[in-house]
Amino acid sequence: MSGTEVICQEIEVDYMLLDRIINDDFGGNREAMIMMMQAIQHNYRFLPEPALKYLSQTIGVPLTKIYEVATFYASFSLEPKGKHIVQVCTGTACHLKGSYRMVEHICERKGMEPGKTSEDMLLTLETVNCVGACAVAPVVVMDEKYYPKADIKTVNEFLDGLNAQ
Amino acid sequence: MKIVLNGKEVAAKEGQTILEVARANGVNIPTLCYVPALDAAAMCRLCTVELTEGRRTKLVTSCNYPLRRDAEIQTDTDALRNGRRLLIELLAPRCPDSVKLQELAAEYGANLKRFPESNQDCVMCGLCARVCERVGGRTLTLSGRGVEIHVDTAFGRPSELCIGCGACAQICPVNKIQVVDEDGFRRVIVRGQEASRIPLNKCTSCGKFFGPVISLSQVMANLGEEKVPPPNQSVCPECSRHNLAIRMAQRHFEQYELAPHETVEEV
Repeated sequence: MSGTEVICQEIEVDYMLLDRIINDDFGGNREAMIMMMQAIQHNYRFLPEPALKYLSQTIGVPLTKIYEVATFYASFSLEPKGKHIVQVCTGTACHLKGSYRMVEHICERKGMEPGKTSEDMLLTLETVNCVGACAVAPVVVMDEKYYPKADIKTVNEFLDGLNAQ
Repeated sequence: MKIVLNGKEVAAKEGQTILEVARANGVNIPTLCYVPALDAAAMCRLCTVELTEGRRTKLVTSCNYPLRRDAEIQTDTDALRNGRRLLIELLAPRCPDSVKLQELAAEYGANLKRFPESNQDCVMCGLCARVCERVGGRTLTLSGRGVEIHVDTAFGRPSELCIGCGACAQICPVNKIQVVDEDGFRRVIVRGQEASRIPLNKCTSCGKFFGPVISLSQVMANLGEEKVPPPNQSVCPECSRHNLAIRMAQRHFEQYELAPHETVEEV
């Protein structure tokens, strides 16, 4: 069917880890489903299908419900993400300050599209709507670190750092 | 609790929804996503009414608004008709050949050419997903949000959980879900795409295909009837009846040494 095209690849899911997340950290309560999903995403950088199936069986929530939640929130991803995540704010203030130029630049440099992961699985570029720091627009969040008044130079420095690794 | 519906005082129990009270009193409120057997979801918004509780008047969806105190309700004001007309004008291009929407459009004088056709064959009522969760195999769901929301199976792939009950096809207000039995498979088709594909049972007696191959014990468990043994899935219901009739006739008439057709002739 239409919708998210999930990249089919074998993912080793650590069921011991899932058990720890589901039962030890959140007591196996279905009310804590979103928090469990966040913990899973934190470990794998996305939500692997086998992990969601296991979650569904363990807490007794239909898989379709979990899928519904996973597709509803923009912070959940069903596709594997890159090792590093760059979020460029495209909210009103940042857009006016030229954040779209940074998006274009990264896309051009890495040959990728916004919202996608580069082919070498190193970088995921996301456009977000507001990170709540409009006064220092344009804002870029790279690997969870906030860069105020960013420009192409800031981005380039970060990308050069990745390539040097 | 004093409820005034369109200027007329009506009887209502506490906790009843506005829609229930209105329908009990013969007042028609249009709905697309309301089915009494399922929990109201207020997805289509067509059932919006004007509610005055105390000094405030507000618009509420009548299908999921329980009455708790004195209220005055208007179900057919100009503002509501305008709102409904706009909703129909927005929904109809998604489903240009839906009879139900055409009827509503005629009733509310909607201009069906106002917005371009998008032909998505779905009005986003979510009934199929809700009924699937309630009676089916928990196959269909709404995924995405906002303008991207659509009916989908988990991970967008044909589902293995479907029991082929066809409740989704039955309940769809715009009849855009098909259940097709052909070539020994039952396929559920949602908006032109296959949502599930289940092999059909072949009758061991007559060789015709019937009913999908599913775990009936799981279905019985979902219905809360774990202890009832699931029915025989190897013979089709027709043959099952036929064979039973033959067996009973043989047993009965051997005893009296009569063939069934002879008795008919005598009478």
